[in-house]
Amino acid sequence: MSDNKLNAAQQSGAVQTTGHAWDGDLQEYNNPLPRWWLWCFYGTVVFSVLYWFIYPSWPVGQTWLKGFGKVDYTIVDKKTNKVEEREQRWNTRALLLADLGEAANNEQRKAMLSKVRAASHDQIVKDPKMMEFVRSVGKGLFGDNCAACHGRGGQGVVGMYPNLSDDDWLWGGSMDKIHETLVQGRKGFMPAFEGVLKPEQLDDVAEYALVLSNEAKPSEASERGKEIFQGQIGGCYYCHGADAKGVPSQGAANLTDKIWTIANVPAQKTLQDKKAVLKTLIANGVNNTRIMPAWKGRLNDDDIKLLAVYVQQLGGAK
Amino acid sequence: MAQSSALPVEQYNFDIVRRFMIVAMIYGVIGMAVGVYIACELAWPFLNFDIPALTFGRLRPVHTSLVIFGFGGSALFATSYYIVQRTCQARLAFPWLAEFTFIGWTGGVALGVLTYMAGFSQGKEYAEFEWPLDLAITVVWVCYILVYVETVRRRSQPHIYVANWFFLAFLLAVALLHIFNNIAVPSALLKSYSVYSGVQDAMIQWWYGHNAVGFFLTAAFLGMMYYFVPKQAGRPVYSYRLSIIHFWALIFLYMWAGGHHLHWTALPDWVSTLSATFSILLLMPSWGGMINGIMTLSGAWDKLRSDPIMLFLITSLSFYGMSTFEGPLMSLKSVNALSHYTDWTIGHVHSGALGWVALVSFGSFYHLMPRLYETRMYSQTLIYVHFWLATIGIVLYITSMWIAGIGQGLMLRSFDDYGNLAYTFIETVEFMHTPYVWRALGGAFFVAGALVMVYNMVMTVRAARIERATLEAKLAAKLAKA
Repeated sequence: MSDNKLNAAQQSGAVQTTGHAWDGDLQEYNNPLPRWWLWCFYGTVVFSVLYWFIYPSWPVGQTWLKGFGKVDYTIVDKKTNKVEEREQRWNTRALLLADLGEAANNEQRKAMLSKVRAASHDQIVKDPKMMEFVRSVGKGLFGDNCAACHGRGGQGVVGMYPNLSDDDWLWGGSMDKIHETLVQGRKGFMPAFEGVLKPEQLDDVAEYALVLSNEAKPSEASERGKEIFQGQIGGCYYCHGADAKGVPSQGAANLTDKIWTIANVPAQKTLQDKKAVLKTLIANGVNNTRIMPAWKGRLNDDDIKLLAVYVQQLGGAK
Repeated sequence: MAQSSALPVEQYNFDIVRRFMIVAMIYGVIGMAVGVYIACELAWPFLNFDIPALTFGRLRPVHTSLVIFGFGGSALFATSYYIVQRTCQARLAFPWLAEFTFIGWTGGVALGVLTYMAGFSQGKEYAEFEWPLDLAITVVWVCYILVYVETVRRRSQPHIYVANWFFLAFLLAVALLHIFNNIAVPSALLKSYSVYSGVQDAMIQWWYGHNAVGFFLTAAFLGMMYYFVPKQAGRPVYSYRLSIIHFWALIFLYMWAGGHHLHWTALPDWVSTLSATFSILLLMPSWGGMINGIMTLSGAWDKLRSDPIMLFLITSLSFYGMSTFEGPLMSLKSVNALSHYTDWTIGHVHSGALGWVALVSFGSFYHLMPRLYETRMYSQTLIYVHFWLATIGIVLYITSMWIAGIGQGLMLRSFDDYGNLAYTFIETVEFMHTPYVWRALGGAFFVAGALVMVYNMVMTVRAARIERATLEAKLAAKLAKA
């Protein structure tokens, strides 16, 4: 309806007001409902009725109209590995099963999975196609299971969770060792030296640890610390090694590099503070605070294998 | 404002209208500014400053309550008290009760917002007030109904004007929604447990939530529209018949659509189907209001060039039409699978809240100002400035949320060749940073516009005071001569 026609109708008196007036000049025309509006409204009614036919809709007694929409999906029997086709009336649970089935039955995924299963860790790393698959699966696996502690990029949290994106591995960085870590979990331990060593001896050992990693210059104190470290009083060398380069089988850290996983030495500004955090660590030891859970049973063997490769390529191989 | 003895007493109680309007603007500016702040927090999370009261979780209900109840609610009190008096030709009934609604409503909102910042919340969206405040609000609301209905009863007009139907529906429905959604067992002064559990609690909550939009932010603001659009245009409403049909269709259908907020959840599939279709059926009844408003201007379209107030009112109706088209679309199961839990929803809400609710309120206030203060607006140009700041702000806001929402929705459902998810959640968050910045900018534009309006209003009131003082001086001089 064009404006001019409308105005002509209103001015010629063909369209009247209702005859009521409020607040002086408030009036209402008695125009009929716009035809297009009415037909669109009927259209939405037709649409809604069709929608009720497709999807589950009106409740009837103890049940409801199920609708004519269908969901096809496949189920894989976990024991026999048999694939079974099923069909249900439209419902959100069936849609979820269809989604899960679609992911599990992805042909490319299945093909790659059997290829990866047969390959050794080294073969996987050397094959770009398999590595692409590892990253595709690993991103989600790592995000769902590992990132909560180790961070999305595996950067870890100093003092809490080891950094996985460098090439320093507390428990060994070979593929087998990482796999072992994932399967059985790890528990870091260091005895507390408070009471075993006198406070000034703790100072000396802390001073020596700083010298080992080139944070401080050798001094008389560090020499005394060295004696404790290498001798029977402290016995630190049992786990950290006589060269202080760490012993992966013990999960003992390499003390000669600049990487700190528990005492946050790099964050301290003065030498005094650096020594203080180390002293606290040596005094208290590490017990029940550095636990990595075992993933065997929680993740299947394929996932653990893929995850080991994924984690290893986050940092450097060793 | 003190009444001068030299001037006649106002025929209607406009004092309460003025005060509600001023409070609406104060709460509006604060609420919108808080909105901009939390929008910035989403873009730059350090703005939390690790202060619990400033975190997004606490400030978000502060924002929504201040703009919906503080700004929107006070604007509705102001305009409904104005409209009911003028269209019924009756002074507001029970002046002391009306006074109580002013103190109760504005005070209730302030207390509620402070309790949120202190960490007390029912955890129900748009109904976060804890039980003592819920009870207080119920009392205030009942008083509002008494004042309104009694004023309508005392009308000296045989017929009840259409705006009043919408306000009456709003008064009744909001009482019903507020009471049933907030039934809870108190366990401490500021702690309670909902009597509903699980998906039933969610269903009641969204029955409330959707109808808060339907009756508070739609029906009542349509009441506002039905008075101010024909008044400002100086023309009769387009169609009385359309107003009847769309009124009854609207209030009947809205009640059943709330379940579409719970698509793809534990809500039974059949409930979600029905609420989707009731939302589709709502499209044309909603558009009925838009058509009636916009067509009222037919034959006087030139007013859009000369009258910035008309620009506010007609633009608000356009945004109303747009968001009531978008809403039914988003309520379809398949569209909702993409839009649910994304910022598309936030954008949709704001095209309604900023585009419809706020613009129609601003337009109505600009219409009211000269009439309540018996003077002209301080600056017409500033009304245009406000209009463009607001419109640019809304467009920036909506488009950035479409990008953020639809973008995130698509990322979350994209798979790689191996059937694995192509993106992790955090990657979608990184993607949304840029649209979040644009959204905050859009909000800032909108607040800037509101501040221009506040300045314009303050200057108008000051001019009115000076004019009145001069008038009184003249009168006094004349009286002295005589």
